[in-house]
Amino acid sequence: MPTDTTRAPAGATAPRARRWRIATWAPLAVLLLLCAIIAAINPNFLSFGNFVRITQSAMIPLVLGIGATFIILMGSIDLSVEGVLTAGAVILSVLALNGANDNDFGLLAVFAVLLVGAFIGFVNGLIHVKLRIPSFMTTLGTWFIGVGAANALLGGMATRINDPMIRGLAIERFLGFPWGVWLALGCFLIAIVIQNHTRFGRYLYALGGGEDLAALSGISVGRVRIAAFTLAGVFYAVGGILAAAQLGLGNAQIGNGRLFTTVTAVVVGGTALSGGQGGVVQTLVGVLIVVVLSNGMVLMGVPPSVQIGVQGLMIIAAVALSIDRGKSRLNK
Amino acid sequence: MAAFIGTVGLDRLRQWLPLATLVILVALIGALQPVFLQPATLLQLASDTAVLFILATGVTFVIMLGGIDLSIQSMASLASVVVALSISRLGYGAFPLALAVGAVAGLLSGLAHTRLRIPSFIATLAMGGVLFSTALVISGERSITLDTEARGYLTWITGAILGIPNVVLIGLVVLAVAHVLQAHTRFGRYSAAIGAGEPAAYASGVKVNRQKVFAYVLSAGFAALAGIILAGRLASGSPTLAAEMLLPSIAAVVVGGTAITGGVGSIWRTLVGALIISVVRIGMTFLGVNIFAQNIVFGAVLIAAVAITIDRSKIPIVK
Amino acid sequence: MKAPAPNLELATSELALVNVNKSFPGVHALKNVSMRVGRGEIVGLIGENGAGKSTLMKILSGVYQPDTGEILIAGKRAVLLDSADANRKGVGMVFQEQSLLTNLTVGENIYLGNEAQFTRFGIVDWRKLYAAAARQLAKVALDVDPRMRAEDLDFASRQMVEIAKALTLEEGAGGHLVILLDEPTSVLERAEVDVLFARVRALRSRASFIFVSHRLDEVLDLSDRIYVMKDGAVVAELAAADADVPRLHHWMVGRSLQAEYYREPLQRPFKDEVVVEAKGLSYGQSYRDVSFKLRAGEILGIAGVIGSGREELTRTLVGFAPHDGGTLTVGGREERFTTPAEAVDRGIGYIPRERRVEGLVLFLPVAANITLADLGSLTRYGIIDTGEERRLATTWVERMNIRTPGIQTLCLNLSGGNQQKVVLAKWLNAKARVLILDHPTRGLDVGAKEEVYELVRAVTSEGVAVVLTSDTLEETIGLSHNVLVMRDGAITHRAEASRGAKPSQVDLIGHMV
Repeated sequence: MPTDTTRAPAGATAPRARRWRIATWAPLAVLLLLCAIIAAINPNFLSFGNFVRITQSAMIPLVLGIGATFIILMGSIDLSVEGVLTAGAVILSVLALNGANDNDFGLLAVFAVLLVGAFIGFVNGLIHVKLRIPSFMTTLGTWFIGVGAANALLGGMATRINDPMIRGLAIERFLGFPWGVWLALGCFLIAIVIQNHTRFGRYLYALGGGEDLAALSGISVGRVRIAAFTLAGVFYAVGGILAAAQLGLGNAQIGNGRLFTTVTAVVVGGTALSGGQGGVVQTLVGVLIVVVLSNGMVLMGVPPSVQIGVQGLMIIAAVALSIDRGKSRLNK
Repeated sequence: MAAFIGTVGLDRLRQWLPLATLVILVALIGALQPVFLQPATLLQLASDTAVLFILATGVTFVIMLGGIDLSIQSMASLASVVVALSISRLGYGAFPLALAVGAVAGLLSGLAHTRLRIPSFIATLAMGGVLFSTALVISGERSITLDTEARGYLTWITGAILGIPNVVLIGLVVLAVAHVLQAHTRFGRYSAAIGAGEPAAYASGVKVNRQKVFAYVLSAGFAALAGIILAGRLASGSPTLAAEMLLPSIAAVVVGGTAITGGVGSIWRTLVGALIISVVRIGMTFLGVNIFAQNIVFGAVLIAAVAITIDRSKIPIVK
Repeated sequence: MKAPAPNLELATSELALVNVNKSFPGVHALKNVSMRVGRGEIVGLIGENGAGKSTLMKILSGVYQPDTGEILIAGKRAVLLDSADANRKGVGMVFQEQSLLTNLTVGENIYLGNEAQFTRFGIVDWRKLYAAAARQLAKVALDVDPRMRAEDLDFASRQMVEIAKALTLEEGAGGHLVILLDEPTSVLERAEVDVLFARVRALRSRASFIFVSHRLDEVLDLSDRIYVMKDGAVVAELAAADADVPRLHHWMVGRSLQAEYYREPLQRPFKDEVVVEAKGLSYGQSYRDVSFKLRAGEILGIAGVIGSGREELTRTLVGFAPHDGGTLTVGGREERFTTPAEAVDRGIGYIPRERRVEGLVLFLPVAANITLADLGSLTRYGIIDTGEERRLATTWVERMNIRTPGIQTLCLNLSGGNQQKVVLAKWLNAKARVLILDHPTRGLDVGAKEEVYELVRAVTSEGVAVVLTSDTLEETIGLSHNVLVMRDGAITHRAEASRGAKPSQVDLIGHMV
């Protein structure tokens, strides 16, 4: 139907394109600047040992961030990160060789956890699509259910994990880095392939860029959404496995605060909350920024309690700078 | 025409569902465990619900506008820490101080949302982090117990008048004030308009940003009050004192029937919702349900409540 | 007996509509419309706003279903379930509003939803896709790297990409591809239009086209045959060679103005007091150097087509689009409205086109909506006097004859006409001195429209000034005291429309298109 369209001024495209390029390179520049500053203050930052520490700190946020990125690219929100991670970690801790019962399912336990993650994600997507409930509500609910299930399973206790393979993820090293880091790297590479080389990946961007237009082109929006949430759930479950391996146990508090870190990393990395822009590579940069900042603050003697506040301010700054003011007036 | 009447009828039904649910639940549990219906138990129920209700009331204002506030639990915790730290030096002055901190935090959240155009969930998530961080730092990352002298200032919270616990009375005062704000003031009317039809409100000359900021100030302010009361009841302040209360608070609002999309709702609904949450919790305890499994029930209840109360026709594209 | 010839024509047509009807609540949008497009033909479709063109396009592209009548593709009956289905059956659409996803590349846009042909084991072979995209772009002679982001292209190139995208339907259409071009030139410069037309002509061997436009000279330039629509029906079909602009005008708008319908006898002379004055007002590229005076009791109509700038001018007056040049004086004071709240404070009320979105809060009751723009007067010490509100609302409902079960009824449940009256009541309650009417009778049935006209007359006789942007030229002329005609961002004509001496539509339309 005829709506009013204004003429495009001849030079209009150039500034817009320029702005986008700044947005993609700025986070990387920030990361390099950060590294430079910290290295100047404390040269220990550049040691190999410290580098390994950084990757160790980054492996879980990266995996979580990948899952969240897929959801945010579509323009949705996923608050269930902590729920899936906690449920996954706890289930792993009671199925694999542990200090509380006689189970020793090893690799099967790992698969079970991934399945649980996929299932919760699937339920998120299904309820969101079929019942037309905004994603933040659905995932708010599953967050609660996930943590609640973990609580119910363990009754507030913690279960020690004795399975050497799982513990190995955190303890055993390959070429200097823990196996967990390699696992996270593997996930990252898989995510890149999915994002850039599959139709599904393109459709995520299409939904974020203009869902009604995407639907007109014959894309099955509902299916893409459900698939995205399911996939995200798998990544969160991997995060749960890594977290359990790192701590050596599973408990219901293992997920606390991770949503915050995940969202910070995704946003700071440059993936727009409105969807359609960004990606897992940007999230990697964002995760590194957050982790390097933490690492740097530790090296400089800043207590972790302050770091949380700094992260909060970082989110605000990152979002404020990236919001496209030209877009719709409506802001909820 | 028949379909139209049918919808109106269904809506009418939907309106009364929360209250009906509450009544049925109380009756059910009372039937299984008669001691539940004794005045002492019910008063205890009311006392335990007070803090939840106050928190939920605050966030109701934000939800009615169409936003969300994910910082209320951190705000309440911070308020408890502020009280714990300053009560020995300021006496009764600790309470206005905590409220003032709340107002400022709410102002900042509101400005971040309206001026910097940051979606409410991010702005408040980030603010929650900042508040949590502040609480950790000023408390030295520990819980601060109040000594006997300090507890003297808390009697207005822990005491009782004519057998009714003060917290219940405070809750009633909050109910009255909040109800007037929501149902009888310009702010309340504007909030409903903004939540139900922001473009129309904007075009009709409503100063939308101003109303939104005020709602966030209210939300943080009530959260601070809740934190103060918690500090009073537990005689201590800690950065994680209210950490588990975010979800039940939002659940209380939604279960009561206020639409998460905004515009439709009231403080009475939040009261009913808070009571339902409390009753379910206490009821489950009475019935011997594992306390940890209760959270699963809450998550499911939350989703179900939203599914029932949400108005899908208002959202063209559900993200 | 004429039977054989039309049937033969239909059978050889690429696409045809036969006696299609489509109605919406209160409005019969398409009345027994029949048309056809032959192989390699370019058919033009013209008509005023509201004539039914966009409804027709939506039926052809599968977005709407006809109530009665048939769609024939290559002579055979077809049902188009949705836009993707229409695509599969050989009907492609190039939308007026840019419908490329700006965050994707050109190649990705061209094959959006159709990547399956390049996918193996789930992985997309981007090289193959971009090679194919390059071939598509060659068909429209657009020299652009398919790996470019759509966002980086100018509008003319984007238009060509959209055509290239439509051309991908060629294979599936089995040679019967029909492409609908909906106002493709509204955002193009003159030179770009020539290029577009050259490319379209070159594509005749691949597809047939239906070309919808307001610009009659362009339609005459490009089309082989032209259909003219008016009030939902096809009123003329002629070969472009047999047509000229005046003839087309005549078909498009020729009808007698019913003076009684617009309550013309009630059109009173307006006062001398100037309520709003614009001098050299401009807003970006949308309109420049607009000047006019609006007096108390006057109805000023602004006529213009898409791209004329009148929509933005309206939005400026209401506070959504602050002007960046010139001056705007309201009630003797210079103003620049950055938010609607400022305009409302100065007595300007907006009756919007999107009534249900910007005019009313549907989920609030009638009373709350009526008082929304002036709650201040009802408030004492912050508390709303609900008793007084009830009284006010009841008074307005009676005065304006708003049909509602009660003042607490949600506006959602009112009919369109009554909803519009509530919007009007809101501004009258707020004592607005200037009303900006934006397509005020859109979607209303005849009876409701007449009521609106009466109310507008009544309101202006009490000194309220009105700026009117209407769907139809007829309504603009019938209601207004004066008419400003805009085209391409400038005022091209001013006409008096005094009682008994109204200009004809043909007089004005020449300045509009």
